[in-house]
Amino acid sequence: MTGRRALLALPLAAQAPDPLAAVMAVLSATRESRASFVEEKEVPELDRPIVSRGTLAWRAPDRLEKRTTDPAPELFLVEGDRVTLERPQRGLRETIALDAAPELRPLVEALRATLAGDIATLRQHHEVAFSGDTTLWRMVLVPRSLRLRGAVQRIALEGRGGFLAVVETQGNEGRTRLMATPAP
Amino acid sequence: MRRFARLFLALAVLAAAFPLLLRHVELRSDITDFLPAAGTEEAAFLLRELRSGAATRLLVAGIEGAAPGELAGISRGMAQRLSADPRFALVTNGSTLVNEEEAALLFAHRYALSPAATPAAFAEPALRASLEGVLDGLQSSAAPLVRRFALADPTGAFLAMLRGWAGEGRVATEHGVWMAAGPRALLLAQTRAAGLDTQAQEAAVAAVRDAFAQAAPPAGARLLLSGPGIFAAEAAATVRADVRLVSTLSFVLVGGFLFWRYRSPMMLAVVAVPLAAGTLAGLAVVAAVFGHVHGAALGFGMTMLGVVDDYPILLVTNRAAGEALRDTARRIWPTLRLAVAAAVAGLAPMLASGFPGLAQLGLFAASGLVAAALATRFLLPALLPPEGLAVRPLPERLAHALLRLPARRGVVLALLALVAVAMAATGGPRMERDLAALSPVPEPVRALDGELRAQVGAPDVRVVLALRADTAEAALQAAERAATALSGAATIDHAARFLPSAATQRARLAALPEDAVLAARLAAAREGLPFRATAFDPFLADVAAARALAPLTPDGLGAAPLLAARIAPLLRQEPDGWRALLLPTDIRDPAALRAAAAGVPGLLLVDIKAETEALLAANTGIALRWAALGAIAVLLLLGAGRGAAGGARIAAALGGALLLTFAALAALGEAITIFHLTAALLLAGVGMDYALFMSRSENTAGEDAARALGSVITCMVTTLLTFGLLALCRTPVLRATGLTVTIGVAAAFLLACALAPRRSTPI
Repeated sequence: MTGRRALLALPLAAQAPDPLAAVMAVLSATRESRASFVEEKEVPELDRPIVSRGTLAWRAPDRLEKRTTDPAPELFLVEGDRVTLERPQRGLRETIALDAAPELRPLVEALRATLAGDIATLRQHHEVAFSGDTTLWRMVLVPRSLRLRGAVQRIALEGRGGFLAVVETQGNEGRTRLMATPAP
Repeated sequence: MRRFARLFLALAVLAAAFPLLLRHVELRSDITDFLPAAGTEEAAFLLRELRSGAATRLLVAGIEGAAPGELAGISRGMAQRLSADPRFALVTNGSTLVNEEEAALLFAHRYALSPAATPAAFAEPALRASLEGVLDGLQSSAAPLVRRFALADPTGAFLAMLRGWAGEGRVATEHGVWMAAGPRALLLAQTRAAGLDTQAQEAAVAAVRDAFAQAAPPAGARLLLSGPGIFAAEAAATVRADVRLVSTLSFVLVGGFLFWRYRSPMMLAVVAVPLAAGTLAGLAVVAAVFGHVHGAALGFGMTMLGVVDDYPILLVTNRAAGEALRDTARRIWPTLRLAVAAAVAGLAPMLASGFPGLAQLGLFAASGLVAAALATRFLLPALLPPEGLAVRPLPERLAHALLRLPARRGVVLALLALVAVAMAATGGPRMERDLAALSPVPEPVRALDGELRAQVGAPDVRVVLALRADTAEAALQAAERAATALSGAATIDHAARFLPSAATQRARLAALPEDAVLAARLAAAREGLPFRATAFDPFLADVAAARALAPLTPDGLGAAPLLAARIAPLLRQEPDGWRALLLPTDIRDPAALRAAAAGVPGLLLVDIKAETEALLAANTGIALRWAALGAIAVLLLLGAGRGAAGGARIAAALGGALLLTFAALAALGEAITIFHLTAALLLAGVGMDYALFMSRSENTAGEDAARALGSVITCMVTTLLTFGLLALCRTPVLRATGLTVTIGVAAAFLLACALAPRRSTPI
């Protein structure tokens, strides 16, 4: 279903002279997607990376769900202005507004605005460097906020067509690499 | 017109005196002026809290009429702006607004301040659990936050401390701010200025409204606001609106009536002279004695002086054909003098009531009455032409019916007896015991306040515990001991919960394990976990540093404004030392709380509601006692002036009127307040005028009796036209007065007619 819609959008995108605009068009045509992920997180204080697994779900225009199943269940949900973090084992459930967390918004938008194909929002928070074309592309985001750049230096995104495959975050606290594979 | 030139000149002089006098008089609108002086330590504490306690500095704001996200945005915008405003000591909206400097200071002192810094938390098993928790946190999406605190504070002392401050989460948080059903975002702002500082409170209210406007609220968003500043403004606005409405309407109605009765607009000017003289005298005397005038005393006193309309009416109407007005004044003076003396005697109890507000009122009315009577006796005859004003005769049938009432005296007395029995059987009218009912603040405003406070989770402070000590440290230690003693019966909020005593801080630091011991325990706890050996070096360094830090004390909180604001309402310096308050927020067992409190030396338990009711009851008791004395004084005066039989007749008319009034109030379901009682005293004074003037005509011709009747009817109608309108007011003091006097005056008039001496020749 999703794939067919993305295919329909392809000929249009192929005609566009700007490959970034073409990728954005494909992404914005992808209204829903599901994927499973593996994430490797390096933390300076730990002698080995933390590996976690789970599923990702995107629904346009603004809902992104990251459900971790391993090693501990967790739900990270962004919807509209609201970010929810649930950790049932710890009895934790927290909702915060993005407006109340200015340092969090650029990190959320790096993923969400990309999935939405919303280059304007993306550029509002990050400097964007693009390479590749719609079949295989890579974007490197550098946060505009100097304060945030003190903690997160860059976010690299890789994708194939309307599918976001790799998210690599480089920060003070180490590197995090998330790899997604389309869910059946 | 030239005949009245002197009258107008006198009025112009009086009118010009008002602004001059008002410029030097301070007007106040403080409800506690209507509370008595305190007799017990509990009462003194209560009165001080009512006047200047923390609750009087609190503004509660609700924002509604938009989507929750927008409301949260407005709330944040307002909080940011108001936090930067030096007029506010503390602004909270559910989001944590600790600035970085304060956070750093509190973080450094966490092992002294946090209740979670117990020796058990530093034992190996607890450390192991803490480290596993940190690892779990690092795995989560909240990892950046976890890293920020947990590596230096794996036991979570700092976060436990902040959680403790936030309270038990009574208010739901949505979009990062307090949000009640509705949706309604909630915000609390505590002013630095006292609640009684009306101007500062008004400025604070304006600042909150401005912050709302600056937060760019979408169309439809509303700001609800409550607090002392609002109360003062609303009370003033209500009283002002009431007074404007009543004075305009009664001016028109009384003016119209007098114009009809005296066929001349001049009568209004005549009536105005004693009224203006009385008001000026009342204002001047009260300001001279008290240094200020209470708004309610002025409003109430002014209307009370409406009664002095009677004096010029009695003067002009009682003039016999061909008599010079000067002679009429001399002829009725003994009766008028007796009426005024008795009225002043009736007002005397108010001076001794113990309520500064009521004392003002009594003084205002008494001095006004005397001044108005003197103006009627000596000033008016000199200002008016000797023939006075022509009086339209009463409708003959009405006069006949009223003058023949004494023939039905038996029926009237039987009726009074019946009402007295009914009153005794039903227990009489119920007394008002709620202080709030006396407040001039309109009911909807108070209802909103209650609603907002309930939503914000401000505890319904029914019981407050207080203790005194010579130093802040001693007060904090005493608060800690008391809180421990009471912890079985209730959850206690107190200053040491936020800032423990220096002794407790030192004890916590002394209980921390030695550096080497802690390092060894940490290494053991880390066994098998993926942490590097150096991962918790910041923790070890901070514990070592904490031991060297001097305890935080109340006077060292310059860099911690939030902490300072939290403890300010709970610990304060007073002239005779330091006072700590303990607020039970969740009383599980009131009796146990009381018993536990009694076991702590020096701890004062104040049951706010019971204490307030006791105050009011004590007050009412005092007022009734003085009223009884006033009544005796009135009886003695009447007996001296009219002989035993005449005095008894007038007393019967008066007593009957009071009886009928309270019976009617009970039938209307009114709860009797101190204001009804005061109004009853006033009514006694007015009713006495009627009885005195009606029975003055004992040995005189029918024509004289008809004149007396005409003058008394005119007095009654003007009084009804003013007080009848007061009964429609919203302000409790004005309404209670209006209702009581309206019913009473009608009853007093009919009884004065019925109990007047029988005439030998009916007309």
